[in-house]
This record gives sequence, structure tokens and C-alpha cells, in this order.
Amino acid sequence: MSSTGPAARNRTAAPAGNGSDGAHSSIVLGPRDRLVGQLYIEGDLRVAGTVEGGLEVTGSVEIDDGGRVTGPVTARDRLVVGRSGSLMGDVHVARLVVQDGATFSGKVSMGKQVEAPPKAVEQVHEAEPAIKPIEAVKAPEAAKPAAAIKPPPASRPGQSTRPPETKGKRR
Amino acid sequence: MDVQEAVAESTPGASAEDNGDAKRDGQRKFTMGPNDSLEGKLVFDGSVHVDGRAEGEFKVTGNLDVAQGATARISIEAANVTVKGQVEGSVTVRDKLTLGKNARLSGDIVVRRLQIDDGASLNGHVRMGDIEQHGSGG
Repeated sequence: MSSTGPAARNRTAAPAGNGSDGAHSSIVLGPRDRLVGQLYIEGDLRVAGTVEGGLEVTGSVEIDDGGRVTGPVTARDRLVVGRSGSLMGDVHVARLVVQDGATFSGKVSMGKQVEAPPKAVEQVHEAEPAIKPIEAVKAPEAAKPAAAIKPPPASRPGQSTRPPETKGKRR
Repeated sequence: MDVQEAVAESTPGASAEDNGDAKRDGQRKFTMGPNDSLEGKLVFDGSVHVDGRAEGEFKVTGNLDVAQGATARISIEAANVTVKGQVEGSVTVRDKLTLGKNARLSGDIVVRRLQIDDGASLNGHVRMGDIEQHGSGG
């Protein structure tokens, strides 16, 4: 039995075999279909039904033909919300298309955010030496307040010293 | 090339006439060129075409469009907004917001209808629904 030839044709019989050849899956949720939960697929997704939960897709997501998605969507390629599609949730995508008539509410994050963390680290390093001189400046000033603290107690004795003087004069 | 620099201080009529106010089909239009810049607050009864560089707050009764190549750091409030350039700021649109293929928008959006063309870049929060005529924030 030479299974190599026929096996390549049996794509419908072996859906779990996706990805090994670099081929990606393509899932369609029809108008009567409903998904509640988290979905991760390596491929494309088309939603014409209802999804309640998170979607993470390596390819593209298309929501149209009355499709409704409630939950966060991550698409490494493209997200399309068609004119009859509805999406309520935060979106993290490389490309975003919203057609006129579509319903969409949520936070949109596009583009690479890799460059941000190194900048924050640099700012921290710059901030550290900037604080040290301030502390060094504060140090000599700190001696003055220490001296300044002494007069207040001295002022109390000052008030108390007068009575002894008056006492002395009285005596 | 003359570079016009306008600082509009809530004087829509006067500033508009000095900066290319044109009437098209009876509607007043405030048009900026690619070398123009505007810093400040603009309240305008009509439509506004933003090009060059804009910074501040734009409240427009009609439509507002940001040309390709334009850089705008503004908060926008208009009936319809079309962005083909770069905008940084909050956008409140009473009817429809369109982001062209080269548009780059960074800011929160409140809109009734939304169209985003492939290639556009958006970072911010989107809220769709009916917009109150007068903003609560003032």
C-alpha cells in the first residue's frame, strides 16, 4: 500500500494534520454556529456566527454576514470587520479594516511595541545618577536643619532662661 | 513659498477669512496648505481642511479632513472626519470617521460610523454610538 499519494489528497479526512507542511487551517463559523471560549488557530478565521470569548489567530480574522464577536481578538495578520459584522472587545492586530456599517467598540493596538521597553530602561539609568547629586546637595543642607532644629528647643529654654534671669534679678 | 502661521484664538470668522476661507455650495471652508501651521483653538462654522502642521483643539460644525502628509496633534470634534495623514489626539465624530490607507491615528475615538481602510494605523480606544451634541467635558 503506497499511502504517500492518496494521503496528500485526504485533507478533509485529516484536519489535525495542518501546519506540518506549512499549510494553515481555514475555519468558518456559519450563521448558526456558536463558539463560547478561547480559540487559537494557526490560520484564518471567518466568523458569520457568534463568538463569545477570545480569538487568537496567526492569519486573518474576518467578521461579516451578521457575525458577532464579544471578546478580545489577536490577529497577527489582518482583522476585517465587515459592514454587517459586530465586534465588542480589545483588538491587537497588524492590520485593521473596518467597513462602513460595522459595529466596533474596544481598544485598538497596532504596530510593534518592542521598542518601548528599552527606552524605559535607559530612562531609569539616566534617572539614577540624577538622584545622587540631589542627595549629595541635600546632605549639607541636612546639617543646617539639624542646627535649625536646635534653636526651637533653645527658644523654649530661652523663655525659661528669662525667668531665671528675672529670678536672679529678683533675688 | 510663504509660510502662513496662524494662531486662532476662538475667533472663527476673522481667522478663517485670513486663511483661505472659501465658500463651496454655500458652505464655508477653512483650508490650510502643506506649508501652513496652526497652533491654538479653532471653533469654525463650516468645514476644515487640515494640511501642514496643526496643534491644539478643533471644533467644527461641518466636516474636517486631514491631508496626507499632514501632522496634527489636535483634539477633533466634527460632523464627519477623514484622516489621510497623521493625527495624535482624541477624535469625536458626530457621524462618520474614515481612516485612509496611509492614515495614522493615535487617540481615543467616539464615533457613530467608522470606516478603516487597509493600511491605516490606529492606536486607541474606540466607542461607537450616538454622540451628544454638547460634550460633557465642555
